[in-house]
Amino acid sequence: MIKLDHVTKTYKNGTIALDDVSLEIEKGEFVFLVGSSGSGKTTFLRLLLREELPDRGTIWEAGRDIVNLPKWRVPYLRRNLGCVFQDFRLLQNKTVFENVAFALEVIGRPKSVIESQVPQVLDLVGLSHKRDNLPTELSGGEQQRVAIARAFVNRPLILLADEPTGNLDPKISEGIMSLLDRINKTGTTVVMATHDKALVDRMRLRVIELDRGHLIRDQQRGVYGIEADAGAPR
Amino acid sequence: MASFSQYVVKETTTNLWRNRVTTVAAIFTVMVSLFLVGGSLILGQGASNAEIKWQQGTLVTVWMAPNATTQEIDAIRSQLNAYPYVHDCYYQTQLQDYEEAKHLLTPTELSVLKPELIPSSLRCVPNQPQDARLVIQKFTGQPGVQYVTAPTQALKNQQRTIAIAQWSVLIIASVLLVSSAVLILNTIRMAIFARKREVAVMKLVGATNWFIRIPFIFEGLIQGLIGSLMAGGLLWTGEWFWHSRAASWAPDTLGSQMLLSTWQLIWCELIVIFLGMVIGSIGSAIAIRRFLDV
Repeated sequence: MIKLDHVTKTYKNGTIALDDVSLEIEKGEFVFLVGSSGSGKTTFLRLLLREELPDRGTIWEAGRDIVNLPKWRVPYLRRNLGCVFQDFRLLQNKTVFENVAFALEVIGRPKSVIESQVPQVLDLVGLSHKRDNLPTELSGGEQQRVAIARAFVNRPLILLADEPTGNLDPKISEGIMSLLDRINKTGTTVVMATHDKALVDRMRLRVIELDRGHLIRDQQRGVYGIEADAGAPR
Repeated sequence: MASFSQYVVKETTTNLWRNRVTTVAAIFTVMVSLFLVGGSLILGQGASNAEIKWQQGTLVTVWMAPNATTQEIDAIRSQLNAYPYVHDCYYQTQLQDYEEAKHLLTPTELSVLKPELIPSSLRCVPNQPQDARLVIQKFTGQPGVQYVTAPTQALKNQQRTIAIAQWSVLIIASVLLVSSAVLILNTIRMAIFARKREVAVMKLVGATNWFIRIPFIFEGLIQGLIGSLMAGGLLWTGEWFWHSRAASWAPDTLGSQMLLSTWQLIWCELIVIFLGMVIGSIGSAIAIRRFLDV
């Protein structure tokens, strides 16, 4: 589903964000991306979103070489990707329903599709009863659920989450994690960058660790810290 | 397609309403500048109409010396009738010319003028208005001829005055047109900044670049179109007012001769509306290119 082959990304100021990273993520996997701030997690996700291009190496996503993808094809690539961010990125002047529907509206889905898919996904994230509320009337956890609903409403092949629980308390984070887990169970590949040690340790899923742009660990059923006994590297 | 149209209409209306103060300012600037452009077009077309009418009525006057003999007058008359560039000629006696002068001169000037001091004249219609020059060249200095005149200089002077007025209006209009484009650009820039977050989300969920751009392009286009329609309305009203006043004027006055036909006016209006749409599109295109990161 996702394949990075000797990918290197250096920013204009000389910072090496990723250095010769190669890895493969299979369809339907749930992967935690861990590492300290500045380790390259966000660059990794931005490369998958084609918001950045690598200096060297190739990236394959859903069977397509996204490095050599023409610029005009990028929006079509992104229709197969869902994104969730720490700051939710909801539109404050739109209701819950409108925020989710917006993701379908702007890719030209007909009204009938919007009216059937949005309630379904709001039901999945448990926010059917708040469909007419504005984001300011919701808690942080609820706002993140709306953001997840918006990312998932188009049934993407891959869901990229950049510290989705970063602004939430542990109990709410558990709920968000379980929602992402349910989405993963539908066959969607989930790549989640996180600093949430408790969450990673509890889930015991694949963990990829970056340190100053280097891939230093890739473990199946891993935990957050390298010192833990987490099974053999891949 | 229907949902896309609905989306474009909704977003464009929202943007225009959100920045209504700058939108109104941009529309009014477009209106004023296009009114001036249209005015200049009408002035140019009117001058051209008047010129055609003047040329159609161009008369070459061969003024005979007051002491010219009848033989000299007859000789010149025969030569004029035989001249291939002259269509027709008629003779005005000294008395007839004196009667004509009575309508043109003040009583003081008339008191010193006697019919025998006035030259008689041969009034000729050239085949083509531009042939007047050839008649002047051929008959000036002939025996018995005092001088030959045609209203060519007056025509040139009027043309020059109108051209200066037309160019002055066009220069002012051009400056205002640039200001309109800049104002539209600024309105679109504000709309882009107001929707920065929305545009970022649109990009993330896979909206195509054109889908993101089109509401902004329409916004500029609509501002230009509304401004140009208002300018067109003003020009139409002005022309109608001119027509209604001209009904009471003599047909040989400049104002009457410059009147435009309905088709000429429609043509000027279409140019004004087209220019309005072009300004709107240019303003939004520059704003999108500079400020919309897609």
